[in-house]
Amino acid sequence: MPTLTVTRSSGGRSKPVPMTYVDPSQLVIDTPPALEGSGLNAPFLMDVLSAMLAHERGGAALYRAVAARSLNPVLQRQYRHFGEETVEHVSILEMLVANAGGDPMYVSPSARATERAGNSVIETTFMCSGSIDLMTAELVMLEAVILAEVKDHSNWSMLSQLVPKLPESLRTSFADATARVEQQEEEHLSWAKDMRSKMITLQIQSGAMQKAGVAAEEMMAKIKSLFD
Amino acid sequence: MDFNPLDQPGIAPDEQLRSWRELAVDPIPPEGGDPYTRCRVILMNGIEVESIMFSHQFSRHIDNLELKRDLALSRRIEQQQQKTVNWLLPGQNSVLETTIGYEQVAVDLTAWLARNEPDPQLRMALDFALLEDFDHLYRYANLYELANGRYAARLTDHLTEIMPGRPTIAHHRHPYDSIRPHYETHSVHPLSRMHVMTIVAAEQQTMNYYMNTGPAFIEAIARELYQEIGMVEEEHVSHYESLLDPVDSWLCNWVYHEYNEAYLYHSMMLQETDPKVKALWELHLNMELGQLRVACQYLERLEGRDPAELLPPSLPEVPVTFQENKRYVREVLAATVDLRTDGTGYSPVEDLADDHRYFTYNRKANLGGTPSEQVISMNVSAQGRDYRDQTDGEHPIVDLRQPAGARN
Repeated sequence: MPTLTVTRSSGGRSKPVPMTYVDPSQLVIDTPPALEGSGLNAPFLMDVLSAMLAHERGGAALYRAVAARSLNPVLQRQYRHFGEETVEHVSILEMLVANAGGDPMYVSPSARATERAGNSVIETTFMCSGSIDLMTAELVMLEAVILAEVKDHSNWSMLSQLVPKLPESLRTSFADATARVEQQEEEHLSWAKDMRSKMITLQIQSGAMQKAGVAAEEMMAKIKSLFD
Repeated sequence: MDFNPLDQPGIAPDEQLRSWRELAVDPIPPEGGDPYTRCRVILMNGIEVESIMFSHQFSRHIDNLELKRDLALSRRIEQQQQKTVNWLLPGQNSVLETTIGYEQVAVDLTAWLARNEPDPQLRMALDFALLEDFDHLYRYANLYELANGRYAARLTDHLTEIMPGRPTIAHHRHPYDSIRPHYETHSVHPLSRMHVMTIVAAEQQTMNYYMNTGPAFIEAIARELYQEIGMVEEEHVSHYESLLDPVDSWLCNWVYHEYNEAYLYHSMMLQETDPKVKALWELHLNMELGQLRVACQYLERLEGRDPAELLPPSLPEVPVTFQENKRYVREVLAATVDLRTDGTGYSPVEDLADDHRYFTYNRKANLGGTPSEQVISMNVSAQGRDYRDQTDGEHPIVDLRQPAGARN
């Protein structure tokens, strides 16, 4: 089972930077053995992988949240499906980090920044719901998915470009993983972008949605049957 | 036995509303009761005040009707809890007598947290401010004798020593030196997180209390002493709140607040000697468990996070305990009385450069006299000695054995 929330109980570790203090027993300072002598900036690489992990973990939470709150069965289904794949991506990344001799429970400074940004993206899906209608709320959730997937897609592309520069012993596992995940990330992002265009186009063309103050029940029914 | 708050249903928040009759509790005895019952009351009042103010701030940052309504419900209940707890304090006690209770909380809570704190850096932060609150108790105890002719030990029951700590005159430092590095939320020990949340709430309540009650006095020395120590409490709140990791989301923080409240009511219930108060702690524990459940449901539904992954599997085995800490306080005093905050760290005062901002700020604040020194001189003039309750022998710092030896 992958770890979706890193805490002390799950073995969370970190690195001190000026304003972050880390309990000495939880410090990460070593260079992973698999990267020693590689000529790479190993600590930086591990920090980047940790940030990727933080992004995938945040993505799993995002999909879980929007799947629970979307009113449209098509969107719910896809969010659940992509959520399952994202949880799998967490597992894959944890394995890659471990293979490189790193600790999947290490949360780097850049992972912390990534998590904060991810929290804000998730918060957009419910913090403003009082000032938007139900259809817009669906769009906001979908847009949060797009934002998350743009970075996700970019993370895996970057990793696949990095494979030839990794030590020989790591290349195969990283290449296999990136080939598999990149394809799924491509699908996640293009689905989200297409779905957004579709939703906006449907709304623009919908006479029923033109009137301001459409009853909530009517709008809910419309959202449920949006892609029928 | 392991106690996991997530396994307990508690009382559902919409069943927690109480009538005015139920809120009208009998106060604890003004004197002669267990001083640590008063300490528990003061602490839990501070905890409730923090939860209410946190909830208000959260509510001001969201535009979600359902969540705002449930925060309002939870907050209304927390307000009832705060009223019930704080109204346990007896009206016969003056503001100054209650203040002595606040400082006894500050000493024995901080010392206990420090003794049980697994993280050395956080322990250092607790030890540092401990010596300052310890000194505040001494200054207020002298004001009490000066103004009322009474001994503070009647209130503290000799459980907490009363003698100089790091002298208050030395507490006035530049605001930049009140900010510490924060713990890291993924790697922090769950106990450390709760210790920090608890001490922030306790010090914040002390700050609020002095901010509001300071002008209630007629005597100039009392008014001025509350101003001076009230400013130090502002330093302490800045010091402690900077230890919290700001990366956690609002909803995570709501869950942490409710969890910590459950831990603390559970702790208070286990130690309480007054049966009526014990019953109240138990009721409030069950209320907090119900509030925690709602906060967890929001975390799961809105942020997609599993509270069981976020929270420890059970409450800490050791409850937060009010007990004597005399030897510990003396050890910290002997080892660190000369420390000052220096940037985000600490340095002995003799290591600070002459032009350090500490001295610039301190000189400016103390220009023309310092109430915390004046109250001692005035009491020495009136009684021929300062007021102390040194139950365990002479002061560990030679220079602080006589009031005139208090140093800047």
